Amino acid sequence: MGVDIGAIFKQEKIGYSDLKDRVIVIDAYNVLHQFLASIRQRDGTPLKNSKGEITSHLSGLFHRTANMIESRIRPVYAFDGKPHPLKAKTLEKRKIRKEEAEREYIKALEGGDLVKARSKAQQTGRLTDEMIQQSKDLLDALGIPFIQSPQEGEAQASYMVKKGDAYAVGSQDYDCLLIGSPVLIRNLTSSERRKLPGKDAYSKVFPKQIRLKNNLKILGIKHKQLVDMAILIGTDFNDGIHGIGPKKSLNLIKKNGNVENVLATIGAKDAPSFDEINEIRKIFLKPKVTDDYNLSWPGVDKENVFKILCDRHHFKKERVEPVLSKFENIQQMMKQKTLF
Amino acid sequence: MFNAKVKSEVLKGIIDVTSPLVSEVKFNINPKGITLRAVDPAHVAMVDLVVKNSAFDEFKATEMELGVDMDKFASIMRLSSAGDMVSLEYDEDTNRLIVKIGNLVRKMGLIDTAGMPDPKMPNLNLPAKVVLKASELNQGVRASEAVSDHLALTVDKDDFELFAEGDTDTVNLKLPKNLLIELTTNSKCKSLFSIDYFSNMIKPVRGEDPVTIMIGNDNPIRVEFNIAEDKGHVTYLLAPRIESE
Repeated sequence: MGVDIGAIFKQEKIGYSDLKDRVIVIDAYNVLHQFLASIRQRDGTPLKNSKGEITSHLSGLFHRTANMIESRIRPVYAFDGKPHPLKAKTLEKRKIRKEEAEREYIKALEGGDLVKARSKAQQTGRLTDEMIQQSKDLLDALGIPFIQSPQEGEAQASYMVKKGDAYAVGSQDYDCLLIGSPVLIRNLTSSERRKLPGKDAYSKVFPKQIRLKNNLKILGIKHKQLVDMAILIGTDFNDGIHGIGPKKSLNLIKKNGNVENVLATIGAKDAPSFDEINEIRKIFLKPKVTDDYNLSWPGVDKENVFKILCDRHHFKKERVEPVLSKFENIQQMMKQKTLF
Repeated sequence: MFNAKVKSEVLKGIIDVTSPLVSEVKFNINPKGITLRAVDPAHVAMVDLVVKNSAFDEFKATEMELGVDMDKFASIMRLSSAGDMVSLEYDEDTNRLIVKIGNLVRKMGLIDTAGMPDPKMPNLNLPAKVVLKASELNQGVRASEAVSDHLALTVDKDDFELFAEGDTDTVNLKLPKNLLIELTTNSKCKSLFSIDYFSNMIKPVRGEDPVTIMIGNDNPIRVEFNIAEDKGHVTYLLAPRIESE
């Protein structure tokens, strides 16, 4: 989910070709959730194999990764580890919302309202441990590196970009900017077409690049203050102050310097305690990350991919084959050495 | 402090050698001139640039850094014509570069240089050296662009060879030692390079001007030439491509 802060950032439209030869660390949970939500039939039923098991995540991961490799982008996936205790509340709330959406989905289906059914179904997607394991197995077979983060995947991803091992984080969430990733890329899809939520219409989408330093400069704030802004708006780790959105938050932080001073001025009842504030700051500014990773793209194991997608999940072989051929580009791609 | 007057061509030359590789650069300014070293985001190529103060018509500076958005700077310089005198002045209070072209005053916001990397020049063992006319190399690279995305450079005792091979077409440019300005090597050296990168590196040098290239076996290439009437010097490094194992 992440903090709702996008409105204040300058976002540059880019294309896949701008990312050629670059390493992009993708927030795996974020993108898999996207696939679960969007890869569905008109009435909201997700993609399933003949045993009735959901396969939307595998289809999305396979096609998205193939398109990146075809454009000579080097993807790496960072998976979430154990969530921070402060996130438990958010996760619990999400679970309740999903159960609610599930009930409404069934009601809409029974009432024959397909548009509503689809929109409700999109909110029900649950990423199970099994789906995560299947996704990792598929990446292994495709020869795409992935990293198990100690905590948040996007924190790990941001750390790797900061370190210079990758060019950008790929995620829909703005949280990695709070963590300090120099570059965020949203809409990391080449299809340039996305269904508008709740409408039976499509819009053209382009990858958008957001550079942290540039934006801080434009906004006239320090990185630390961006985190404080987010705490006022609400993050995955706190609820935020009622009635404060990105623009108001920016003004308040600029005027008062930090969250504590803002709270002293506006006196909000629903404010987090100073201890909580410091803990949330720590989550963003000093996240738990690991150096235990190895970025290499050894190439695809075709037999294994067929085994996972066709034998195990009943994808049609003739539809897998042409997509799989895009991965032959990996060998081509890896022929270009780097200076360091 | 930085205050300079310089011909439009000199600045355009600086832009030509850096902007294909990096969009944001840190210029290091000191009383002797301007230096810059940057690596492209994929870490495939490096540019190292030194421009002496004598390349400028006027040059007054103390040691400082200028963070420049090269796309923006390039679009400003397109407002000038060949022969125009351009004045540059750093405005410390607003952190802007004031660019004056004729009666036009363009104030350009600068980028924060804190956190911009200072890449080190890697130690390379490149035993083969060739100096040749830019036009000869340009012709071979232009021809190769049409048939492949990479080319092979070979230096042997008696000649320098450029070779590119596509699915159906090939390009071969063989220059014997007597047509080269200089050739030094003890053994045959061969490396492959991406044409995209390589062609961007040699585009800024034209005609009779000499280009120095140094290669090894499956090692980076070092490309050097002068700009700004020999008062500026450019060094590029480009990582090789490796043939299928």
